[in-house]
Amino acid sequence: MTQQSPLSVRGRIALTIMHDERELGIIRRQLNRLGVQIVPWGDGPPTTEADVVLLDADLFPIEQVPALPIDPTTPIIALVGIETPSRLKWLLDLKPASFLIKPIRSAGLYSALVMAFGIAQQRTEAIERIKHLEFRVKSRRLVIAAILYLMEHRKLTEAAAFALIRRTAMQRRTTIEELSAEIVASGGQVPLAIHPS
Amino acid sequence: MSKSSIPIGLLFSQSGPYQMMGGEMLKSARMAIDEVNADNQFDFELVPHLRDPAGVVSAYHTACEHLIREVGVDHIVGCYTSASRKQVLPIIERTDRLLWHPARYEGFECSDNIIYVGAAPNHAVVPLIRYMLDHLARDVFCVGSNYVWTWETNRVTRELVSAVGGSILAERLIDLGELNVEHIVEEIVSRRPPVVLNTLVGESSYIFMRALHAATLKARFTTTVLSCSLCEPELKIIGGNAAAGCITSSAYFESIDLLENRAFVSRWKDRHGIDSSPSVDGQSTYVSIMLLARAIKRAGSTSVNDVLSAAANHCYQSPQGPIWVDPDNNHCFLTPRLARSTKNEQFDIFWEAEAPQKPDPYLSGLDAAPLVRPHSTSTSPLPQQQRLRLLN
Repeated sequence: MTQQSPLSVRGRIALTIMHDERELGIIRRQLNRLGVQIVPWGDGPPTTEADVVLLDADLFPIEQVPALPIDPTTPIIALVGIETPSRLKWLLDLKPASFLIKPIRSAGLYSALVMAFGIAQQRTEAIERIKHLEFRVKSRRLVIAAILYLMEHRKLTEAAAFALIRRTAMQRRTTIEELSAEIVASGGQVPLAIHPS
Repeated sequence: MSKSSIPIGLLFSQSGPYQMMGGEMLKSARMAIDEVNADNQFDFELVPHLRDPAGVVSAYHTACEHLIREVGVDHIVGCYTSASRKQVLPIIERTDRLLWHPARYEGFECSDNIIYVGAAPNHAVVPLIRYMLDHLARDVFCVGSNYVWTWETNRVTRELVSAVGGSILAERLIDLGELNVEHIVEEIVSRRPPVVLNTLVGESSYIFMRALHAATLKARFTTTVLSCSLCEPELKIIGGNAAAGCITSSAYFESIDLLENRAFVSRWKDRHGIDSSPSVDGQSTYVSIMLLARAIKRAGSTSVNDVLSAAANHCYQSPQGPIWVDPDNNHCFLTPRLARSTKNEQFDIFWEAEAPQKPDPYLSGLDAAPLVRPHSTSTSPLPQQQRLRLLN
């Protein structure tokens, strides 16, 4: 799947969690110019289809973070009126991807959308990367076990044992971690690449 | 019957890097004001208050503030560059006044306190690049002044060109007002691109056009120059031979064959001499004042809200043809055109849109997908509705 550029906002869906009719009017007009579709909050069942949420940060009491009807990866643009630390602390827990200062005007919304889509994309990539690194960290013990096994049974140095595992993994188009798990689980009954003597 | 007086602000730089444009715009503004004041259909008289920021960006704010707070104008016509418009926009919005902006610009703005009379990017750069892809080449060499107009024009160009597998061969930017263009001309001669997109402004552009003409003659090769901004007075400055053959996208050319335009050009020449020519930005300034006067007349007031409502969707038969303000975005419906500059310093119009086009300041309707096509030498490479209708 090719990712849509953050600069391209046409055809995206915005959920507006706002009450102020005047500000909603400005937001509607500007989103319309940008080709962004609007789903108002409270119309019908909760939507998880939104690509971005425009949230009036002054709308909720600060005792609790509201349960928003959205996917947690959907970026939030906060519309900020009250800039007190108590309100901003509440807002930080919602992890907004960008913000607009009230009173809302047409200028700024496109920038806020582009930032939000860009940040959301970076966050998704960062989460994927962290998942990948966590897997590798967890698998470290298996890789070490496989290296020790080969050092002992094939009389290899540590460097040569690791090189053998890496070469075999490449040949079999698998990961070092998966191959290591196989070596350990099968007690070495895994065909390995022929290594230079 | 004595007419009431309505003060309006004019904000045009009469010196500095784009003084030539500022001068042309002021001439057209004065002509429009004189015509409004002499016309009995208007029961008021426009009293112009000129401020000259001399091309200094920071001076625009001071000049605008003075017009609003001291003179007390509700309407200001002027600005030329986006940097100058961004300077005055906060005070215009804060005091709820209306700026009538005649010049084309790169888009991506939509203030409720600005009427954008010049071409939006879907009127200017998009038809030009579509024509290039359809009839000239897929690869283009970009040369421009290093500022927002060039950056955004080149971005749109890259988007359209890459959609069909073409490329930007080079992007050479020089500072505004820079006159050393020889290294760029040398690179063009050595690389021989089929098309050169020129977004240089003012003196940089004139020197570049002359140098490129001389160099290509000497090297015996031809390339096609594209522009979104060249106008007749500039062709005269560059000189007919060096300026000829440039494919230019604009909503206005002196050669538009409309009754309103022939009369406009004739009145212009009566005022400024038989050898002078109106320019695209000058004509647009004239149109701005005519739209303003008509809206004040219809509204019966100069208040911004009343004038905005009166201007919305109200068609004016201007020299460039029918034009009206789109209330969706405060930009204007207008007719894009393409022309080729000639040796006698005029433009030969070879394409125009069938009807005035809705402005799309955010290019939200721009879809590069219909441009994508298999590489072939077919004579109709675009779907029929996407192809440009040629006049001859």
